Amino acid sequence: MTGFPLLSAIIAVPLAGAILLAFIPRDRLQLIRYTALAVALITFGLSLALLASFDPAAAAAGGFVRRETVDWIPAFGIQYKLGVDGISLVLVVLTTLLSWISILASFKPITERVKEYMIAFLILEVGMLGVFLALDLFLFYVFWEIVLVPMYLIIGIWGGPNRIYATIKFVLYTLVGSLLMLVAILATAFAYQVATGSWTGAFDYERLRGFGFDTTLQALAFLAFFLAFAIKVPMWPFHTWLPDAHVEAPTAGSVILAGVLLKLGGYGFIRFALPLFPAAAKAYAPAIIMLSLIAIVYGAIVSIVQPDLKKLVAYSSVSHMGFVTLGIFIFQQQALDGAILQMVNHGLITGALFLCVGVIYERTHDRTIARMGGLAARTPVYAAIFGFFMLASLGLPGLGGFVGEFLVFVGTFAVSPIAAGVAVTVMVLGAVYLLWMYQRIAFGEVSEFLKSIGAHLTDVTPLELVTLTPLVALTVLFGLFPGLLLGLFQAPVDAIIGALAGAQPVALLPWR
Amino acid sequence: MSSAELLALAPFAGVVGLAIAVVVLDIIRPGADRLIGLLAGFGLLFVLAVTLYAGGPGTGVFGGVYVRDALTYFLDLLFLVIALLTVLFAPDYLRPRRLPMAEFCATLLFAISGAMLIGGSRDLLVLFLGLELLVLPGYMLAGYAKRDGLSTEGAIKYFLLGSFSSAIFLFGLAFTWGYTGTTSVAGVAAVLEGQSTVSLSAGLAMGLALLTAGVAFKIAAVPFHYWTPDAYQGAPTPVTGYLSVGPKVAAFALILRLFVEALGPLKADWVGAIVILAALTMTLGNLVALTQDNIKRMLAYSSIAHTGYILVGLAAFAGAAAGSPAERAGLEGLLFYSAAYVFMNLGAFAVVAALQGRTGVTSQISTFAGLGRRAPLAGALMTLFLLSLTGIPPTAGFFGKAYVILAAVQAGGWVSVLAVIAVLNAAVAAFYYLRVVVWMYMREAPADAQPLTQSWPMRTGLALAALGTVVIGLLPGVIIPGAQAAAQALLH
Repeated sequence: MTGFPLLSAIIAVPLAGAILLAFIPRDRLQLIRYTALAVALITFGLSLALLASFDPAAAAAGGFVRRETVDWIPAFGIQYKLGVDGISLVLVVLTTLLSWISILASFKPITERVKEYMIAFLILEVGMLGVFLALDLFLFYVFWEIVLVPMYLIIGIWGGPNRIYATIKFVLYTLVGSLLMLVAILATAFAYQVATGSWTGAFDYERLRGFGFDTTLQALAFLAFFLAFAIKVPMWPFHTWLPDAHVEAPTAGSVILAGVLLKLGGYGFIRFALPLFPAAAKAYAPAIIMLSLIAIVYGAIVSIVQPDLKKLVAYSSVSHMGFVTLGIFIFQQQALDGAILQMVNHGLITGALFLCVGVIYERTHDRTIARMGGLAARTPVYAAIFGFFMLASLGLPGLGGFVGEFLVFVGTFAVSPIAAGVAVTVMVLGAVYLLWMYQRIAFGEVSEFLKSIGAHLTDVTPLELVTLTPLVALTVLFGLFPGLLLGLFQAPVDAIIGALAGAQPVALLPWR
Repeated sequence: MSSAELLALAPFAGVVGLAIAVVVLDIIRPGADRLIGLLAGFGLLFVLAVTLYAGGPGTGVFGGVYVRDALTYFLDLLFLVIALLTVLFAPDYLRPRRLPMAEFCATLLFAISGAMLIGGSRDLLVLFLGLELLVLPGYMLAGYAKRDGLSTEGAIKYFLLGSFSSAIFLFGLAFTWGYTGTTSVAGVAAVLEGQSTVSLSAGLAMGLALLTAGVAFKIAAVPFHYWTPDAYQGAPTPVTGYLSVGPKVAAFALILRLFVEALGPLKADWVGAIVILAALTMTLGNLVALTQDNIKRMLAYSSIAHTGYILVGLAAFAGAAAGSPAERAGLEGLLFYSAAYVFMNLGAFAVVAALQGRTGVTSQISTFAGLGRRAPLAGALMTLFLLSLTGIPPTAGFFGKAYVILAAVQAGGWVSVLAVIAVLNAAVAAFYYLRVVVWMYMREAPADAQPLTQSWPMRTGLALAALGTVVIGLLPGVIIPGAQAAAQALLH
């Protein structure tokens, strides 16, 4: 691909922005804030240009478009190789969108060490975009780990009272999974090198995909990849870092964590775990579907009893991301479509819910549901927006959250009616915890606690409206016209399902 | 002596000459610390240039007991970088404590010359000579702050265990000589290869056991590591930095020349010991480091853990079939990791030394409180070095780990289990490295905290260490060909 390296530019702009910020004096707070915002907006603009120039037909023919390849470490055939298909495209746009929204949402709450914060945020964006765009396993791993450091700092420096515990837990959980994945990546590349006799392309995703590794390697390497992605998603029982991280993270950190970081895990499954090790994926799928169902039900039940708004949204993420893994591992086309839709919509809706929680937290410095009440009377616009996203989250038809879950249901039903039945019960549970939460905070008498806040309890500010409005619009848009998204990633989804159909599941414990 | 031979000897002779020049300058102008530093620094730069010019053509000197091949070249560059960085880091720590620079530089340079002798030696006796030339100045440096009780205690432990292990090592050399009839590295290998079935006689087995124990002391592998924490904690901080990289890399040079080149044909007999040593060293080093509250002790245990990671490379060499690519990859990994380790570990110790630029600053981790705000640049650099030690990309430490793990995966068998142990250890290590970051960024500085001031040598040194850590991580291609050539030279 000749011409302007758009993908590299999308990664390079936030990186250059972070370096630029390092040279701005730390007391020029407004300059730092607006520079960071401008950088994030430019990146967003570039990703929109990518979206506008994306041709699904061309992508369907070649698998990926806009490949950008430079030899990085020739001794091992490691390349700097980027490329984009429909799946990565929608996640890239989601990332750049939530990034600028998060930066804008940080203008008021973050007053300490603004410079470091903005630098960390832009580096975080670099890492996330790199993960979605990398087509070389080694490069993918590098970006995967780069994501970790800024998030560690964001939670640990700008987080709540228990932030140090939460951030170290976050890092250690993620690191254990990802380091084992590193061993698996190296083992996979080595197996390719042995088979072909050369390191050329040993880390190249497009060559490794569908290569047909031997069953022992598939069974072990899939487990390592699974652990890394399952922790990130997070799947039950690897989810315990998530509520802690969410509760302690600053608002924007939570938005990115829920909106993009969790999607890295789902993306990893779709992009790497399935196409590289289809036979192992098939063998493990029943167990993973079980875990997904447990996550869906468990996350919903635990959400009901949460006293803290943020924790409630965090546990509801466990439940909603359970639909994503269910949709991926049921190996059915509509379900996989639904899983990807659910990733995008969960990113928009849960990101927005965390923004909403942040709005109330900023005014009251409290998130306890029991102390709220009557917000609809005091702050009607805020209550309306919160209510909108609450309904979207529980899957109201016509809004984004519905379509993804519905497609997962339909696809699952075609394969396993029992699994679909279990998953559908959660629609009821979701209604219970979300409606009950909303009832307690929004309706009834204005609580004593909120009265004590007095005039500080203002309705949403114009700045907050700017951050929330695009999310409202997109939630409606994707709820009414999911075909806008589905058309983008039809070809890669078909390819993945087609490749899986031909795979024979490996016998588990093949080394026996 | 031909000019090629003279050139082959030039780097080693240059460092010895530089050490003597430092002593002479101190006699002419006593107490001229700044001048001594300049002489040592620019002298080392000059020797570095000479080394780059000399390259690694494979010239043998003195009947082949010393050789300048690609391995010598690679190691010499590493040793010179170690010396240069140490000289740059030292003044900020030594000056406020009124410790003389001249003795420090001269002793350090003699030790480095010993390391360089090991790197190029192809004779068992010269190996031992180099080893002693390396470790004797090391004992002196450890006890260099002679009015400090901890320093003296650490030095005595280091000296007693060190000389004990040297004796064990020498005993092992004697067995090897006795059973092969030659002290030449190539000769030993030829005798061992010449045996139709390489069988281990009782005497040779004894020699191998003694050599392994002696070397394990020098690299501080578990369970031969007990001297390390005390010596590291007691020694003046720049010395600790040097001790954690210089003697370690030199001892690995010794392993390359002795175990790989001379005793390579017997590797099936010693691979088991190395696999167990590597697993123990990584695991115990990291677990004990978790509980340390003293930064120097913590870095001491972490350096033990890094010994374990480097040993994984050696195990990959030993576990792979002779002539297989995995064999070479193991050695390359060992060398690459050593290079990465030099920059990141020296860098971390340099920040500790900078923090202790005033007397009275202890080595407790709590002295790092709020460093990210008090001294943003030092805090950021420390974070970089710690992330590299953890193995987070894109830093040198990450690629070093990836290299040895790749080699271990290639070697297969039990060695690939080491790969898994290594990464689990890296996750454990993240906990204690990140604890320092927590202190620097997530806790407030004490009210009476003083701002940091660094001299220009310290700044230059920190910049070099950071540059090395980043460049080797981003563009490992700058080191890989050197490591490949060095491994090639060892395996012929």
